Amino acid sequence: MTITGEIRSSKRRSGPPRLKITSLEVLCGILVLALLFQSKLVDLLDVPKLRTASTVFVAICVQAMPFLVLGVLISGAIAAFVPASALRRLLPTRTALAVPVAGVAGVALPGCECASVPVARRLMQQGVAPAVALTFLLAAPAVNPIVLVATAVAFNDTPIMVVARFVGSLLTAMVMGWLWVRFGKMEWIAERALARLGDHDGSSKWTVFAESARHDLVDAGGFLVLGGLFAATFKTFVPVAWMQTLGGQVVLGVIVMAFLAVILALCSEADAFVAVAFSALPLLPRLVFLVVGPAVDVKLIALQAGAFGRAFAFRFAPATFVVAILCGVVTGVVLL
Amino acid sequence: MRRETQNILLVLLGGALLKISFSGLYLRYVQKGLLPLLIAAGTIMIVLALFAIIRDIRRGQAVSEAGSDSDSGHDHSHSHSSRSTWLMLLPVLAVFLISPPALGGDVVSSSADTNQTQRSRNLLGNLPSGDVIPLSMTEFVTRTAWDESGTLDGRRVKLTGFLTRADGNTFVARLAISCCAADARPLKVRLTGDVPSLPDEQWVEVSGKVVPKSANEKNSWVPSFTVESSTSVAEPVEPYES
Repeated sequence: MTITGEIRSSKRRSGPPRLKITSLEVLCGILVLALLFQSKLVDLLDVPKLRTASTVFVAICVQAMPFLVLGVLISGAIAAFVPASALRRLLPTRTALAVPVAGVAGVALPGCECASVPVARRLMQQGVAPAVALTFLLAAPAVNPIVLVATAVAFNDTPIMVVARFVGSLLTAMVMGWLWVRFGKMEWIAERALARLGDHDGSSKWTVFAESARHDLVDAGGFLVLGGLFAATFKTFVPVAWMQTLGGQVVLGVIVMAFLAVILALCSEADAFVAVAFSALPLLPRLVFLVVGPAVDVKLIALQAGAFGRAFAFRFAPATFVVAILCGVVTGVVLL
Repeated sequence: MRRETQNILLVLLGGALLKISFSGLYLRYVQKGLLPLLIAAGTIMIVLALFAIIRDIRRGQAVSEAGSDSDSGHDHSHSHSSRSTWLMLLPVLAVFLISPPALGGDVVSSSADTNQTQRSRNLLGNLPSGDVIPLSMTEFVTRTAWDESGTLDGRRVKLTGFLTRADGNTFVARLAISCCAADARPLKVRLTGDVPSLPDEQWVEVSGKVVPKSANEKNSWVPSFTVESSTSVAEPVEPYES
Protein backbone atom coordinates (compact mmCIF):
# COMPACT_ATOMS: atom_id res chain seq x y z
CA MET A 1 0.00 0.00 0.00
CA THR A 2 2.65 2.49 0.98
CA ILE A 3 4.65 1.61 -2.09
CA THR A 4 1.73 2.38 -4.40
CA GLY A 5 1.18 5.54 -2.48
CA GLU A 6 4.79 6.57 -2.94
CA ILE A 7 4.73 5.83 -6.62
CA ARG A 8 1.57 7.83 -7.09
CA SER A 9 2.78 10.74 -5.04
CA SER A 10 6.09 10.83 -6.86
CA LYS A 11 4.17 11.08 -10.09
CA ARG A 12 2.14 14.00 -8.86
CA ARG A 13 4.40 16.70 -7.57
CA SER A 14 1.79 18.43 -5.48
CA GLY A 15 -0.03 15.31 -4.42
CA PRO A 16 -0.41 14.21 -0.82
CA PRO A 17 2.27 11.84 0.43
CA ARG A 18 -0.18 9.09 1.42
CA LEU A 19 -2.75 7.13 -0.55
CA LYS A 20 -6.05 8.96 -0.34
CA ILE A 21 -9.24 6.97 -0.54
CA THR A 22 -11.39 8.70 -3.11
CA SER A 23 -14.75 7.90 -4.60
CA LEU A 24 -12.95 6.00 -7.34
CA GLU A 25 -11.49 3.47 -4.89
CA VAL A 26 -14.83 3.21 -3.10
CA LEU A 27 -16.55 2.45 -6.39
CA CYS A 28 -14.06 -0.30 -7.23
CA GLY A 29 -14.49 -1.74 -3.73
CA ILE A 30 -18.27 -1.84 -4.05
CA LEU A 31 -18.05 -3.52 -7.46
CA VAL A 32 -15.65 -6.20 -6.21
CA LEU A 33 -17.80 -6.89 -3.12
CA ALA A 34 -20.94 -7.08 -5.23
CA LEU A 35 -19.31 -9.59 -7.58
CA LEU A 36 -18.04 -11.71 -4.68
CA PHE A 37 -21.42 -11.85 -2.96
CA GLN A 38 -23.54 -12.06 -6.08
CA SER A 39 -25.12 -15.44 -5.32
CA LYS A 40 -25.85 -14.37 -1.73
CA LEU A 41 -27.57 -11.26 -3.07
CA VAL A 42 -29.66 -13.27 -5.50
CA ASP A 43 -30.71 -15.68 -2.73
CA LEU A 44 -31.61 -12.78 -0.48
CA LEU A 45 -33.97 -11.38 -3.07
CA ASP A 46 -35.65 -14.71 -3.75
CA VAL A 47 -38.88 -13.78 -1.98
CA PRO A 48 -41.88 -13.12 -4.25
CA LYS A 49 -42.51 -9.60 -2.90
CA LEU A 50 -38.85 -8.60 -3.15
CA ARG A 51 -38.58 -10.07 -6.63
CA THR A 52 -41.58 -8.05 -7.72
CA ALA A 53 -40.17 -4.92 -6.10
CA SER A 54 -36.78 -5.30 -7.79
CA THR A 55 -38.40 -5.87 -11.18
CA VAL A 56 -40.62 -2.81 -10.79
CA PHE A 57 -37.61 -0.78 -9.61
CA VAL A 58 -35.53 -1.69 -12.65
CA ALA A 59 -38.56 -1.15 -14.89
CA ILE A 60 -39.14 2.38 -13.59
CA CYS A 61 -35.45 3.30 -13.94
CA VAL A 62 -35.12 1.79 -17.40
CA GLN A 63 -38.33 3.38 -18.61
CA ALA A 64 -37.47 6.83 -17.26
CA MET A 65 -33.80 7.04 -18.29
CA PRO A 66 -34.40 7.77 -22.01
CA PHE A 67 -36.68 10.65 -21.05
CA LEU A 68 -34.18 12.00 -18.54
CA VAL A 69 -31.51 11.83 -21.25
CA LEU A 70 -33.84 13.70 -23.62
CA GLY A 71 -34.35 16.31 -20.90
CA VAL A 72 -30.64 16.86 -20.24
CA LEU A 73 -29.92 17.09 -23.98
CA ILE A 74 -32.55 19.82 -24.38
CA SER A 75 -31.21 21.48 -21.25
CA GLY A 76 -27.65 21.33 -22.61
CA ALA A 77 -28.81 22.69 -25.94
CA ILE A 78 -30.51 25.63 -24.25
CA ALA A 79 -27.32 26.34 -22.27
CA ALA A 80 -25.12 26.24 -25.35
CA PHE A 81 -27.20 27.55 -28.21
CA VAL A 82 -30.02 29.70 -26.83
CA PRO A 83 -28.80 33.01 -25.46
CA ALA A 84 -30.71 34.34 -22.47
CA SER A 85 -31.74 37.39 -24.48
CA ALA A 86 -33.57 35.23 -27.02
CA LEU A 87 -35.68 33.65 -24.31
CA ARG A 88 -36.52 37.05 -22.88
CA ARG A 89 -37.65 38.28 -26.27
CA LEU A 90 -39.79 35.20 -26.78
CA LEU A 91 -41.74 35.53 -23.54
CA PRO A 92 -44.05 38.40 -22.55
CA THR A 93 -42.30 40.78 -20.19
CA ARG A 94 -45.02 40.59 -17.55
CA THR A 95 -44.55 37.35 -15.65
CA ALA A 96 -48.28 36.93 -15.06
CA LEU A 97 -48.79 36.93 -18.83
CA ALA A 98 -45.80 34.70 -19.51
CA VAL A 99 -47.25 31.97 -17.27
CA PRO A 100 -50.01 30.85 -19.67
CA VAL A 101 -47.57 31.05 -22.58
CA ALA A 102 -45.23 28.68 -20.75
CA GLY A 103 -48.14 26.37 -19.99
CA VAL A 104 -49.13 26.07 -23.61
CA ALA A 105 -45.47 25.75 -24.62
CA GLY A 106 -45.48 22.51 -22.63
CA VAL A 107 -47.22 20.95 -25.61
CA ALA A 108 -43.89 20.99 -27.40
CA LEU A 109 -41.95 18.70 -25.04
CA PRO A 110 -42.95 15.15 -25.92
CA GLY A 111 -41.87 13.24 -22.85
CA CYS A 112 -42.86 12.39 -19.35
CA GLU A 113 -42.11 14.26 -16.16
CA CYS A 114 -38.45 13.24 -15.90
CA ALA A 115 -37.59 15.25 -19.01
CA SER A 116 -39.10 18.49 -17.84
CA VAL A 117 -37.18 18.93 -14.57
CA PRO A 118 -33.72 19.57 -16.06
CA VAL A 119 -35.25 21.74 -18.78
CA ALA A 120 -37.13 23.89 -16.24
CA ARG A 121 -34.00 24.36 -14.16
CA ARG A 122 -32.00 25.39 -17.21
CA LEU A 123 -34.68 27.92 -18.15
CA MET A 124 -34.32 29.47 -14.68
CA GLN A 125 -30.54 29.61 -15.04
CA GLN A 126 -31.00 31.40 -18.33
CA GLY A 127 -32.94 34.12 -16.59
CA VAL A 128 -36.52 32.97 -17.16
CA ALA A 129 -38.71 33.91 -14.19
CA PRO A 130 -39.14 30.93 -11.81
CA ALA A 131 -42.93 31.14 -12.01
CA VAL A 132 -42.75 30.71 -15.77
CA ALA A 133 -40.25 27.85 -15.64
CA LEU A 134 -42.32 26.08 -12.97
CA THR A 135 -45.49 26.39 -15.06
CA PHE A 136 -43.62 24.77 -17.91
CA LEU A 137 -42.36 22.07 -15.54
CA LEU A 138 -45.92 21.16 -14.50
CA ALA A 139 -47.60 21.52 -17.88
CA ALA A 140 -45.14 19.73 -20.17
CA PRO A 141 -45.59 16.16 -18.90
CA ALA A 142 -49.38 16.35 -18.95
CA VAL A 143 -50.43 18.26 -22.05
CA ASN A 144 -48.06 17.02 -24.75
CA PRO A 145 -49.52 15.15 -27.74
CA ILE A 146 -48.10 11.72 -26.82
CA VAL A 147 -49.78 11.76 -23.43
CA LEU A 148 -53.06 13.01 -24.88
CA VAL A 149 -53.10 10.32 -27.56
CA ALA A 150 -52.38 7.66 -24.94
CA THR A 151 -55.26 8.99 -22.87
CA ALA A 152 -57.56 8.93 -25.90
CA VAL A 153 -56.64 5.31 -26.62
CA ALA A 154 -57.21 4.27 -23.02
CA PHE A 155 -60.50 6.13 -22.60
CA ASN A 156 -61.89 5.51 -26.08
CA ASP A 157 -65.38 5.18 -24.62
CA THR A 158 -65.26 8.60 -23.00
CA PRO A 159 -63.22 10.97 -25.19
CA ILE A 160 -64.21 13.89 -22.98
CA MET A 161 -61.53 12.61 -20.54
CA VAL A 162 -58.82 13.82 -22.95
CA VAL A 163 -60.22 17.34 -22.93
CA ALA A 164 -60.75 17.23 -19.17
CA ARG A 165 -57.21 16.07 -18.57
CA PHE A 166 -55.75 18.75 -20.83
CA VAL A 167 -57.76 21.52 -19.18
CA GLY A 168 -57.22 20.24 -15.64
CA SER A 169 -53.45 19.92 -16.03
CA LEU A 170 -53.02 23.24 -17.81
CA LEU A 171 -55.10 24.91 -15.12
CA THR A 172 -52.98 23.32 -12.39
CA ALA A 173 -49.76 24.52 -14.03
CA MET A 174 -51.01 28.07 -14.52
CA VAL A 175 -52.49 28.40 -11.04
CA MET A 176 -49.19 27.24 -9.56
CA GLY A 177 -47.36 29.76 -11.73
CA TRP A 178 -49.58 32.61 -10.60
CA LEU A 179 -49.34 31.47 -6.97
CA TRP A 180 -45.56 31.60 -7.29
CA VAL A 181 -45.73 35.12 -8.73
CA ARG A 182 -47.76 36.17 -5.70
CA PHE A 183 -46.20 34.17 -2.85
CA GLY A 184 -43.03 32.50 -4.15
CA LYS A 185 -39.70 33.38 -2.59
CA MET A 186 -36.39 33.09 -4.40
CA GLU A 187 -34.58 31.91 -1.28
CA TRP A 188 -36.57 28.66 -1.31
CA ILE A 189 -34.72 27.63 -4.42
CA ALA A 190 -31.26 26.30 -3.64
CA GLU A 191 -28.45 28.57 -4.81
CA ARG A 192 -26.86 25.84 -6.82
CA ALA A 193 -29.99 25.54 -8.95
CA LEU A 194 -29.65 29.08 -10.18
CA ALA A 195 -25.85 29.31 -10.31
CA ARG A 196 -24.78 29.59 -13.91
CA LEU A 197 -22.19 27.04 -14.84
CA GLY A 198 -18.66 28.40 -14.80
CA ASP A 199 -17.66 30.68 -17.61
CA HIS A 200 -17.03 28.73 -20.72
CA ASP A 201 -14.50 31.12 -22.15
CA GLY A 202 -12.52 29.49 -24.87
CA SER A 203 -14.53 26.29 -25.00
CA SER A 204 -16.69 25.66 -28.03
CA LYS A 205 -20.48 25.61 -27.92
CA TRP A 206 -20.44 21.86 -28.38
CA THR A 207 -18.24 21.45 -25.33
CA VAL A 208 -20.67 23.57 -23.33
CA PHE A 209 -23.50 21.42 -24.64
CA ALA A 210 -21.85 18.12 -23.72
CA GLU A 211 -20.58 19.30 -20.34
CA SER A 212 -23.93 20.80 -19.34
CA ALA A 213 -25.81 17.68 -20.39
CA ARG A 214 -23.36 15.42 -18.56
CA HIS A 215 -23.51 17.57 -15.43
CA ASP A 216 -27.32 17.56 -15.39
CA LEU A 217 -27.48 13.83 -16.02
CA VAL A 218 -25.14 13.00 -13.14
CA ASP A 219 -27.03 15.44 -10.93
CA ALA A 220 -30.51 14.15 -11.67
CA GLY A 221 -29.78 10.46 -12.28
CA GLY A 222 -29.35 9.62 -8.62
CA PHE A 223 -32.58 11.32 -7.65
CA LEU A 224 -34.45 9.51 -10.38
CA VAL A 225 -33.19 6.21 -8.95
CA LEU A 226 -34.26 7.33 -5.47
CA GLY A 227 -37.75 8.09 -6.77
CA GLY A 228 -37.84 4.70 -8.48
CA LEU A 229 -36.94 3.00 -5.19
CA PHE A 230 -39.82 4.71 -3.37
CA ALA A 231 -42.31 4.03 -6.13
CA ALA A 232 -41.34 0.34 -6.39
CA THR A 233 -41.67 -0.08 -2.63
CA PHE A 234 -45.09 1.56 -2.47
CA LYS A 235 -46.34 -0.22 -5.56
CA THR A 236 -45.35 -3.61 -4.16
CA PHE A 237 -46.25 -3.27 -0.51
CA VAL A 238 -49.34 -1.04 -0.49
CA PRO A 239 -52.33 -3.28 -1.21
CA VAL A 240 -54.71 -1.85 -3.78
CA ALA A 241 -57.24 -4.68 -3.75
CA TRP A 242 -59.48 -2.80 -1.29
CA MET A 243 -59.91 0.00 -3.82
CA GLN A 244 -62.82 -2.03 -5.18
CA THR A 245 -64.81 -1.40 -2.03
CA LEU A 246 -64.70 2.39 -2.46
CA GLY A 247 -67.44 2.10 -5.06
CA GLY A 248 -69.52 5.22 -5.42
CA GLN A 249 -68.01 7.26 -2.61
CA VAL A 250 -66.76 10.15 -4.73
CA VAL A 251 -65.10 12.29 -2.06
CA LEU A 252 -63.17 9.40 -0.59
CA GLY A 253 -62.40 8.18 -4.10
CA VAL A 254 -60.90 11.53 -5.06
CA ILE A 255 -58.65 11.62 -2.00
CA VAL A 256 -57.51 8.02 -2.35
CA MET A 257 -56.84 8.32 -6.08
CA ALA A 258 -54.86 11.52 -5.53
CA PHE A 259 -52.60 9.82 -2.99
CA LEU A 260 -52.33 6.77 -5.21
CA ALA A 261 -51.13 8.98 -8.08
CA VAL A 262 -48.37 10.30 -5.82
CA ILE A 263 -47.09 6.98 -4.55
CA LEU A 264 -47.39 4.96 -7.75
CA ALA A 265 -45.30 7.51 -9.72
CA LEU A 266 -46.44 6.23 -13.09
CA CYS A 267 -45.12 7.63 -16.32
CA SER A 268 -47.63 10.15 -17.64
CA GLU A 269 -47.80 8.18 -20.87
CA ALA A 270 -49.06 5.09 -19.05
CA ASP A 271 -51.19 6.40 -16.22
CA ALA A 272 -54.34 6.60 -18.36
CA PHE A 273 -54.26 2.83 -18.87
CA VAL A 274 -54.06 2.32 -15.13
CA ALA A 275 -56.85 4.83 -14.53
CA VAL A 276 -59.11 2.93 -16.92
CA ALA A 277 -58.59 -0.15 -14.79
CA PHE A 278 -60.20 1.45 -11.74
CA SER A 279 -63.55 0.97 -13.40
CA ALA A 280 -65.41 0.59 -10.13
CA LEU A 281 -64.85 4.29 -9.54
CA PRO A 282 -66.70 7.14 -11.25
CA LEU A 283 -64.81 9.26 -13.79
CA LEU A 284 -64.12 12.19 -11.45
CA PRO A 285 -61.65 10.45 -9.11
CA ARG A 286 -59.93 8.94 -12.11
CA LEU A 287 -59.56 12.39 -13.67
CA VAL A 288 -57.99 13.62 -10.42
CA PHE A 289 -55.57 10.68 -10.67
CA LEU A 290 -54.56 11.81 -14.16
CA VAL A 291 -54.18 15.47 -13.18
CA VAL A 292 -52.22 14.85 -9.96
CA GLY A 293 -49.90 12.14 -11.33
CA PRO A 294 -47.84 14.17 -13.82
CA ALA A 295 -47.70 17.18 -11.47
CA VAL A 296 -46.57 15.54 -8.25
CA ASP A 297 -45.38 12.03 -7.43
CA VAL A 298 -42.56 10.52 -5.39
CA LYS A 299 -40.23 10.25 -8.38
CA LEU A 300 -40.88 13.88 -9.28
CA ILE A 301 -40.46 15.10 -5.68
CA ALA A 302 -37.07 13.38 -5.55
CA LEU A 303 -36.04 14.96 -8.86
CA GLN A 304 -37.24 18.40 -7.74
CA ALA A 305 -35.45 18.12 -4.41
CA GLY A 306 -32.30 17.31 -6.37
CA ALA A 307 -32.69 20.11 -8.89
CA PHE A 308 -34.04 22.94 -6.74
CA GLY A 309 -33.25 21.89 -3.17
CA ARG A 310 -35.27 20.34 -0.37
CA ALA A 311 -36.63 23.64 0.95
CA PHE A 312 -38.25 24.16 -2.42
CA ALA A 313 -39.59 20.65 -2.92
CA PHE A 314 -41.21 20.44 0.51
CA ARG A 315 -43.19 23.61 -0.16
CA PHE A 316 -43.85 23.19 -3.86
CA ALA A 317 -44.97 19.54 -3.87
CA PRO A 318 -47.74 19.80 -1.20
CA ALA A 319 -49.00 23.04 -2.74
CA THR A 320 -49.10 21.43 -6.18
CA PHE A 321 -50.89 18.42 -4.70
CA VAL A 322 -53.72 20.55 -3.28
CA VAL A 323 -53.98 22.76 -6.37
CA ALA A 324 -54.02 19.73 -8.68
CA ILE A 325 -56.83 18.08 -6.72
CA LEU A 326 -58.89 21.29 -6.78
CA CYS A 327 -58.27 21.92 -10.48
CA GLY A 328 -59.07 18.28 -11.28
CA VAL A 329 -62.32 18.40 -9.32
CA VAL A 330 -63.42 21.74 -10.81
CA THR A 331 -62.65 20.60 -14.35
CA GLY A 332 -64.38 17.30 -13.73
CA VAL A 333 -67.52 18.87 -12.32
CA VAL A 334 -67.76 21.24 -15.28
CA LEU A 335 -66.86 18.86 -18.10
CA LEU A 336 -67.73 15.31 -17.09
CA MET B 1 -17.77 12.57 -5.97
CA ARG B 2 -14.89 12.95 -8.38
CA ARG B 3 -15.45 13.59 -12.04
CA GLU B 4 -13.78 10.33 -13.06
CA THR B 5 -16.08 8.32 -10.81
CA GLN B 6 -19.11 10.07 -12.25
CA ASN B 7 -17.92 9.24 -15.74
CA ILE B 8 -17.39 5.59 -14.87
CA LEU B 9 -20.88 5.43 -13.35
CA LEU B 10 -22.32 6.91 -16.54
CA VAL B 11 -20.48 4.35 -18.67
CA LEU B 12 -21.75 1.55 -16.41
CA LEU B 13 -25.34 2.78 -16.49
CA GLY B 14 -25.25 3.31 -20.25
CA GLY B 15 -23.72 -0.15 -20.58
CA ALA B 16 -26.51 -1.64 -18.48
CA LEU B 17 -29.12 -0.07 -20.75
CA LEU B 18 -27.36 -1.40 -23.86
CA LYS B 19 -26.97 -4.83 -22.27
CA ILE B 20 -30.67 -5.29 -21.60
CA SER B 21 -31.48 -3.84 -25.03
CA PHE B 22 -29.32 -6.20 -27.02
CA SER B 23 -29.95 -9.30 -24.89
CA GLY B 24 -33.71 -8.83 -25.21
CA LEU B 25 -34.02 -8.74 -21.40
CA TYR B 26 -35.57 -5.26 -21.68
CA LEU B 27 -38.85 -7.00 -22.52
CA ARG B 28 -39.08 -8.00 -18.86
CA TYR B 29 -39.21 -4.35 -17.85
CA VAL B 30 -40.63 -2.19 -20.61
CA GLN B 31 -42.78 -2.35 -23.67
CA LYS B 32 -41.31 -3.34 -27.04
CA GLY B 33 -41.53 0.10 -28.64
CA LEU B 34 -39.07 1.60 -26.19
CA LEU B 35 -36.10 -0.30 -27.67
CA PRO B 36 -34.76 2.48 -29.96
CA LEU B 37 -35.03 4.98 -27.11
CA LEU B 38 -33.14 2.65 -24.76
CA ILE B 39 -30.32 2.13 -27.23
CA ALA B 40 -30.12 5.87 -27.91
CA ALA B 41 -30.13 6.72 -24.20
CA GLY B 42 -27.41 4.16 -23.38
CA THR B 43 -25.24 5.34 -26.26
CA ILE B 44 -25.64 9.01 -25.37
CA MET B 45 -24.68 8.35 -21.73
CA ILE B 46 -21.52 6.56 -22.79
CA VAL B 47 -20.65 9.22 -25.38
CA LEU B 48 -21.11 12.04 -22.85
CA ALA B 49 -18.88 10.24 -20.35
CA LEU B 50 -16.21 9.42 -22.95
CA PHE B 51 -16.26 13.01 -24.17
CA ALA B 52 -15.54 14.21 -20.65
CA ILE B 53 -12.84 11.59 -20.07
CA ILE B 54 -11.03 12.39 -23.33
CA ARG B 55 -11.29 16.09 -22.63
CA ASP B 56 -9.76 15.64 -19.17
CA ILE B 57 -6.90 13.58 -20.52
CA ARG B 58 -6.24 16.12 -23.28
CA ARG B 59 -6.07 18.90 -20.78
CA GLY B 60 -3.52 16.89 -18.87
CA GLN B 61 -5.40 16.90 -15.63
CA ALA B 62 -6.93 13.50 -15.39
CA VAL B 63 -6.82 13.91 -11.63
CA SER B 64 -8.87 17.06 -11.51
CA GLU B 65 -10.07 17.72 -8.04
CA ALA B 66 -13.02 20.10 -7.97
CA GLY B 67 -11.39 22.14 -10.66
CA SER B 68 -13.13 21.26 -13.88
CA ASP B 69 -15.26 23.94 -15.37
CA SER B 70 -18.62 22.35 -14.75
CA ASP B 71 -17.91 22.09 -11.04
CA SER B 72 -16.26 25.42 -10.37
CA GLY B 73 -18.21 28.10 -8.61
CA HIS B 74 -20.45 25.86 -6.56
CA ASP B 75 -18.20 23.32 -4.95
CA HIS B 76 -20.18 23.24 -1.75
CA SER B 77 -23.47 22.43 -3.35
CA HIS B 78 -21.83 19.95 -5.61
CA SER B 79 -20.55 17.87 -2.75
CA HIS B 80 -24.13 17.77 -1.53
CA SER B 81 -25.69 16.56 -4.74
CA SER B 82 -22.90 14.16 -5.50
CA ARG B 83 -23.94 11.85 -2.69
CA SER B 84 -27.14 11.02 -4.55
CA THR B 85 -25.14 10.17 -7.66
CA TRP B 86 -24.04 6.99 -5.88
CA LEU B 87 -27.60 5.71 -6.26
CA MET B 88 -27.03 5.38 -9.99
CA LEU B 89 -25.02 2.30 -9.08
CA LEU B 90 -28.19 0.50 -7.89
CA PRO B 91 -29.81 -0.14 -11.29
CA VAL B 92 -26.39 -1.08 -12.65
CA LEU B 93 -25.91 -3.74 -9.96
CA ALA B 94 -29.52 -4.88 -10.33
CA VAL B 95 -29.16 -5.38 -14.08
CA PHE B 96 -25.71 -6.96 -14.15
CA LEU B 97 -25.86 -9.09 -11.01
CA ILE B 98 -29.47 -9.85 -10.17
CA SER B 99 -31.27 -9.37 -13.48
CA PRO B 100 -34.76 -9.36 -11.91
CA PRO B 101 -37.26 -11.75 -13.56
CA ALA B 102 -40.45 -10.75 -15.35
CA LEU B 103 -43.43 -10.10 -13.08
CA GLY B 104 -45.62 -13.09 -12.37
CA GLY B 105 -48.23 -14.53 -10.05
CA ASP B 106 -47.46 -12.20 -7.16
CA VAL B 107 -48.84 -9.27 -9.15
CA VAL B 108 -51.86 -11.20 -10.37
CA SER B 109 -52.94 -12.14 -6.85
CA SER B 110 -52.49 -8.65 -5.38
CA SER B 111 -54.12 -6.66 -8.14
CA ALA B 112 -57.41 -4.88 -7.88
CA ASP B 113 -59.63 -5.11 -10.94
CA THR B 114 -58.98 -8.33 -12.71
CA ASN B 115 -59.77 -8.18 -16.42
CA GLN B 116 -61.62 -4.90 -16.13
CA THR B 117 -59.12 -2.93 -18.16
CA GLN B 118 -60.38 -4.45 -21.32
CA ARG B 119 -63.83 -2.93 -21.06
CA SER B 120 -63.05 -0.01 -23.33
CA ARG B 121 -61.07 -1.91 -25.90
CA ASN B 122 -62.88 -2.40 -29.14
CA LEU B 123 -60.97 -4.66 -31.42
CA LEU B 124 -63.59 -7.19 -32.31
CA GLY B 125 -63.38 -8.40 -35.86
CA ASN B 126 -64.04 -11.79 -37.32
CA LEU B 127 -62.15 -14.71 -35.83
CA PRO B 128 -59.71 -16.39 -38.20
CA SER B 129 -60.79 -19.80 -39.40
CA GLY B 130 -58.96 -22.98 -38.46
CA ASP B 131 -59.29 -25.85 -36.03
CA VAL B 132 -57.37 -24.36 -33.10
CA ILE B 133 -57.11 -20.57 -33.06
CA PRO B 134 -54.20 -19.08 -31.10
CA LEU B 135 -55.51 -15.98 -29.31
CA SER B 136 -53.86 -13.43 -27.07
CA MET B 137 -55.29 -13.33 -23.56
CA THR B 138 -56.30 -9.74 -24.20
CA GLU B 139 -58.40 -10.67 -27.20
CA PHE B 140 -59.87 -13.75 -25.53
CA VAL B 141 -60.93 -11.82 -22.43
CA THR B 142 -62.32 -8.94 -24.48
CA ARG B 143 -64.37 -11.26 -26.63
CA THR B 144 -65.77 -13.24 -23.73
CA ALA B 145 -66.63 -10.19 -21.66
CA TRP B 146 -67.83 -7.70 -24.26
CA ASP B 147 -68.92 -9.59 -27.32
CA GLU B 148 -72.63 -10.33 -26.96
CA SER B 149 -72.79 -12.31 -30.19
CA GLY B 150 -70.69 -15.11 -28.67
CA THR B 151 -68.20 -15.46 -31.54
CA LEU B 152 -66.04 -17.69 -29.37
CA ASP B 153 -68.73 -20.18 -28.35
CA GLY B 154 -67.90 -23.62 -29.65
CA ARG B 155 -64.59 -22.54 -31.15
CA ARG B 156 -61.39 -24.27 -30.04
CA VAL B 157 -58.74 -21.72 -29.02
CA LYS B 158 -55.20 -21.83 -27.66
CA LEU B 159 -54.01 -19.50 -24.88
CA THR B 160 -50.50 -18.91 -23.55
CA GLY B 161 -49.88 -17.81 -19.99
CA PHE B 162 -48.64 -18.91 -16.59
CA LEU B 163 -50.54 -20.86 -13.94
CA THR B 164 -51.70 -19.31 -10.70
CA ARG B 165 -54.04 -20.65 -8.05
CA ALA B 166 -56.43 -18.98 -5.63
CA ASP B 167 -59.40 -20.22 -3.55
CA GLY B 168 -59.12 -23.72 -4.97
CA ASN B 169 -59.34 -22.48 -8.54
CA THR B 170 -56.61 -22.71 -11.15
CA PHE B 171 -56.13 -19.82 -13.54
CA VAL B 172 -54.02 -19.21 -16.56
CA ALA B 173 -52.83 -15.62 -16.32
CA ARG B 174 -50.80 -13.12 -18.20
CA LEU B 175 -49.83 -9.50 -17.58
CA ALA B 176 -50.34 -6.65 -20.03
CA ILE B 177 -48.26 -3.49 -19.90
CA SER B 178 -48.62 -0.22 -21.76
CA CYS B 179 -45.34 1.46 -20.82
CA CYS B 180 -43.32 -0.40 -18.21
CA ALA B 181 -43.79 -3.21 -15.70
CA ALA B 182 -44.95 -0.69 -13.09
CA ASP B 183 -48.27 -0.38 -14.88
CA ALA B 184 -48.80 -4.13 -15.38
CA ARG B 185 -52.43 -5.25 -15.27
CA PRO B 186 -53.44 -8.88 -15.03
CA LEU B 187 -55.58 -10.95 -17.38
CA LYS B 188 -57.02 -14.13 -15.91
CA VAL B 189 -58.96 -17.10 -17.25
CA ARG B 190 -60.34 -19.76 -14.88
CA LEU B 191 -59.55 -23.30 -15.96
CA THR B 192 -61.97 -26.22 -15.76
CA GLY B 193 -61.98 -29.67 -17.30
CA ASP B 194 -58.55 -31.25 -17.73
CA VAL B 195 -56.72 -28.75 -15.47
CA PRO B 196 -52.94 -29.17 -15.72
CA SER B 197 -51.36 -30.20 -12.41
CA LEU B 198 -48.18 -28.24 -12.91
CA PRO B 199 -46.65 -25.93 -10.30
CA ASP B 200 -47.60 -22.26 -9.99
CA GLU B 201 -45.83 -19.83 -12.32
CA GLN B 202 -45.24 -22.57 -14.90
CA TRP B 203 -45.88 -21.27 -18.43
CA VAL B 204 -48.39 -23.35 -20.38
CA GLU B 205 -50.27 -23.48 -23.64
CA VAL B 206 -53.84 -24.58 -23.05
CA SER B 207 -56.27 -25.56 -25.80
CA GLY B 208 -59.98 -25.80 -25.25
CA LYS B 209 -63.26 -23.95 -25.38
CA VAL B 210 -64.76 -21.08 -23.47
CA VAL B 211 -67.70 -21.78 -21.19
CA PRO B 212 -70.33 -19.54 -22.84
CA LYS B 213 -71.49 -16.52 -20.80
CA SER B 214 -69.13 -17.38 -17.95
CA ALA B 215 -67.66 -13.89 -17.63
CA ASN B 216 -69.83 -11.46 -15.70
CA GLU B 217 -69.54 -8.51 -13.42
CA LYS B 218 -69.72 -10.67 -10.29
CA ASN B 219 -66.54 -12.59 -11.10
CA SER B 220 -64.69 -9.49 -12.38
CA TRP B 221 -65.16 -10.66 -15.97
CA VAL B 222 -62.97 -13.72 -15.50
CA PRO B 223 -64.21 -16.26 -18.07
CA SER B 224 -64.07 -20.02 -17.54
CA PHE B 225 -62.29 -22.21 -20.01
CA THR B 226 -62.69 -25.96 -20.52
CA VAL B 227 -59.22 -27.37 -21.06
CA GLU B 228 -58.91 -30.18 -23.57
CA SER B 229 -55.15 -30.39 -23.75
CA SER B 230 -52.23 -28.51 -22.26
CA THR B 231 -48.46 -28.46 -22.64
CA SER B 232 -45.86 -26.74 -20.53
CA VAL B 233 -43.73 -24.28 -22.46
CA ALA B 234 -40.74 -22.08 -21.70
CA GLU B 235 -41.33 -18.48 -20.68
CA PRO B 236 -41.83 -16.49 -23.89
CA VAL B 237 -39.24 -13.89 -24.86
CA GLU B 238 -41.98 -11.32 -24.64
CA PRO B 239 -43.53 -12.10 -21.26
CA TYR B 240 -46.15 -9.33 -21.34
CA GLU B 241 -48.95 -8.51 -23.71
CA SER B 242 -49.41 -4.91 -24.59
